[in-house]
Amino acid sequence: MTTYLDDRPRPIRQPSRFIAFAVVTLLAVGGLTTRLFYLQIVDGGRFATLSARNRTVLEAVPAPRGLIYDSAGRVLVTNVPTFAVKVRPADLPQAQRPEVVARLAALLDLDEAEINATIDSNPGSNFDLVRIAGDVDEQTALLISEAGFELPGVEIAVEARRQYTYGPLLSQVLGYTGPVSAEQLPGLRSLGYLPDDLLGKTGLESQYETELRGLYGSESVERDATGRKMQVLQTINEASPGNSLNLTIDAKEQIYAERALKWAMAEVGLKRGVVIVMNPQTDEVVALVSLPTYDNNLFARGISNTDYRALVEDPDKPLLNHATQAHYPPGSTYKLVAGTGGLADRKISARTELQTKSYLTLGSTKFYDWNRRGFGACNIYCGFAHSSDTFFFQVAGMLGIDRLGYWGKQYGFGSPTGIDLPGEVSGIVPTNQWKQDVLGAPIYPGETYQSGIGQGYDVVTPIQLINAYAALANGGTLLQPQVVHDIVGPEGQVVRPFEPKMLHEIDAPASVLKTMRNAARAVVEVRHTYNLVELPIKVAGKSGTAEFGNRDKEGRLPFHSWFVGFVPKDPENGSFDKPDSNLVVLAFAYDSRTKGNVATEIVKYYLQQHFAIEKDYRLPNLLERGNFYQSN
Amino acid sequence: MGVIRAQPARVTDWAAKSVGAAWRAFDLQLTTYAALLVAVGLVMAYTNSVEDGAIPLEAGTTFSRGLMWAAIAAVVFTLATAFDYRWLRTLAWPIYGVQLGLLVLTLLIGDGIGGSARWIEIGPLTFQFSEIAKVLMIIVLASYLASRRRLDSLASILGACLLVAPPLALVMLQPDLGTSLVFGAILAGMLWMSGASLRWLAVLAALVVAMVPIAWTYILRDYQKERLASFLDTNPDIQGAGFQLHQAQIAVGSGGPFGKGLTNGTQTQGGFLPVQTTDFVFATLAEELGFIGGLVLFLLFVLLLWRVLVAGWRSKDAFGTLFAAGVASMILFQLVVNVGMVLGVMPITGIPLPFVTHGGASLVSMAAGLGILQSINVRQTRAAW
Repeated sequence: MTTYLDDRPRPIRQPSRFIAFAVVTLLAVGGLTTRLFYLQIVDGGRFATLSARNRTVLEAVPAPRGLIYDSAGRVLVTNVPTFAVKVRPADLPQAQRPEVVARLAALLDLDEAEINATIDSNPGSNFDLVRIAGDVDEQTALLISEAGFELPGVEIAVEARRQYTYGPLLSQVLGYTGPVSAEQLPGLRSLGYLPDDLLGKTGLESQYETELRGLYGSESVERDATGRKMQVLQTINEASPGNSLNLTIDAKEQIYAERALKWAMAEVGLKRGVVIVMNPQTDEVVALVSLPTYDNNLFARGISNTDYRALVEDPDKPLLNHATQAHYPPGSTYKLVAGTGGLADRKISARTELQTKSYLTLGSTKFYDWNRRGFGACNIYCGFAHSSDTFFFQVAGMLGIDRLGYWGKQYGFGSPTGIDLPGEVSGIVPTNQWKQDVLGAPIYPGETYQSGIGQGYDVVTPIQLINAYAALANGGTLLQPQVVHDIVGPEGQVVRPFEPKMLHEIDAPASVLKTMRNAARAVVEVRHTYNLVELPIKVAGKSGTAEFGNRDKEGRLPFHSWFVGFVPKDPENGSFDKPDSNLVVLAFAYDSRTKGNVATEIVKYYLQQHFAIEKDYRLPNLLERGNFYQSN
Repeated sequence: MGVIRAQPARVTDWAAKSVGAAWRAFDLQLTTYAALLVAVGLVMAYTNSVEDGAIPLEAGTTFSRGLMWAAIAAVVFTLATAFDYRWLRTLAWPIYGVQLGLLVLTLLIGDGIGGSARWIEIGPLTFQFSEIAKVLMIIVLASYLASRRRLDSLASILGACLLVAPPLALVMLQPDLGTSLVFGAILAGMLWMSGASLRWLAVLAALVVAMVPIAWTYILRDYQKERLASFLDTNPDIQGAGFQLHQAQIAVGSGGPFGKGLTNGTQTQGGFLPVQTTDFVFATLAEELGFIGGLVLFLLFVLLLWRVLVAGWRSKDAFGTLFAAGVASMILFQLVVNVGMVLGVMPITGIPLPFVTHGGASLVSMAAGLGILQSINVRQTRAAW
């Protein structure tokens, strides 16, 4: 037993325990070394691959979207760089989401619910970016990008926004681009569309989407764990810019047309109207106005729900292009069909005179002329010029509904014109077959009468109607209206030149069409269109009043007004014998109910501007409102 | 035996001792290895600062804070070396009180980082008292065991266990599973080196094993269980709980033999690594410096542990030996668990890698431990004459 001098502890070292400790140490470190060797040397290659895959991703490089110019080379749409706020849901922790969304809502002046809905309706996967807001001002973008850590998963992207130079003036034609929807994405993915991509939604933006979009490039990008782009490693495909469109539309003429329509609409209090200007020789659309309109820049900036709802719920449907996407009864303008048919089928000749009484009787029903006195004995010039209903009742009766329908189709009614704008409707040309198919009954003779004056089952789109008169003006070639003149590649090379597209030759002798052109001139000359004849240019045309809807207390129907006219190549001295017109103009006034034909006034005002006629021939006193049934 | 060596050193002896003799007894190797490990830690702090996109020497970066803590550690080391360790035995009970006080304080006012109350803010610094508590625990245990007449008695073992129990419980409450395991490792290592009876140690080990199911059911928090389960799962969910581990292994594995070069680690610089300045710092090292870098680090640790054991061997009193055993156990355990975690052979517990992990308390604690060891070294010189 050892004795101790004090409680000073004795040394306790035991060699075996020290050795054991040292052995354990070496074994442990040896084990770690083995494991490290295995991971880094034996299995290193596999991890190197994993590491590379971790950080490199293939990213699409958006191509600059093609531009759109008018026929005079004016820029109608450009791309301006803007900041967009995007969210990658996978990087936004669920716990922090309410807080992040609340901050975004405050910064972007958006509704929290709206942001949440956008994130949740994300068409892509959780790792795909979702566009929360576009066109964010620089200050806000900077704030958001600096608050990176407080706003996980939120990114600022620079993207190009469409800037429509003239806004509402051309919205109906140009349309707008918008985010890809969840329903569209699956079909578009294979075409290289990204979940946060934009594409043309309506108008030319939609019609020429494939041309305008260009080819997206791709590059492999190194990113960090949060998905931020660190550097571009390699460009795999260069993005190639989209093609540009040169339109047939002339912004100046568009302004003239819109001004004319707006003036009349304001004067009368109209809700909807259409003006179309075309060159009948080529079917180039020079102006196409549909009012009410909207500002497509609103959509380009990312329209708010409130604004969008207001547009959708507007009873006058500003989002609809009334020139192509809606059809209306053509009224007396349709007498062109019966007249052409009667002459071509030799039911009448240019000299045939028909008695135009105040009414025709069919069984027990009386079919009244708009002019209760009638016009006496009348040939085609007289009948067309005064727009005698009883004259055309008789012609329609001679033709029968199926021949009338045949000639309607010859003029292009009943099927889309094929204009390069989306959503065109076809209108209706009634025939026995048609009525049997749709209503399950044959056409009654009275219905044939009504159809002869454009008040039956027949409905037409404004573009169909002007196109029919364009065919008359050019000597019988039904062409396909075109809004885009040619398509130009990024280097300015013409990718698709302009070419008039013929639908068919109208099956009527040139002499018949010449007669109808002169009959249309007679409309102006007999002052059916008041002082239109006084203009220093020669106009031929046809007005129309088309009843629709429900009778008022006095038994009168509301009506639309039409006028479609054309001018010879030499406007002052030209003759309508020659099919050389290169200007046809149509005006349509929805629910006009004016004393005189407001559409004629609109066309007159347009022509005054187009030909720079100093004297003002407009007759505002004709635009008094009231249900005057005065056909035309 | 042992009579002469057991002579208490008198103040006059100590005063007479020459500075030169003290210097000769000072273990330069120990200091050098430790300093090199700190240097490795600073290099890692530098590369991680680059990852943050900061200029490393600017105030507030991981690197500049690392430099500051290294300086503080150097001061602590020097003071601890100068301080006569024998006073520690006298002060053992007050030190135990301070240790418990710090841990209670942490629980009361600790600021939750990572969801647990481990950190105390002192001015601009956050400080983890449980790191300091480890060294204090070693002092207290060494003092207690050194004072026992029969070290291999069951009473000594039980006494040591009872001493460790309160701080261990307090750390568990934070909850800091890792640090409490370190306490356990310190206890085991010191009992082992104290020469405690193998039989009783075996019984103790069996008891610990028996405790595991109880701990799993009643003590461990869900996230701790998830981490442990994820470790045991052979096909873990790499997007969920296994994500950190998976990314760390990619970092290590892609480092290859020579690494991707400092500041070139794509996993590190891309932010794919979790807590890469602290618990997963070894992943950064392995990615950027490769297998060679890992080997150098292991070598430094082995050399350091060797010098710690040498100090314990040389000590002429039980306190010195036991203290060295405690420090060696602490360093070895933390090394194995931390690196093992990064390499996927140990569960994720959040134990720092000594000297290398960025963290002031850990470094200061290590500096204090090594400083006391040097104090033990230089105060053994008289008998060597």
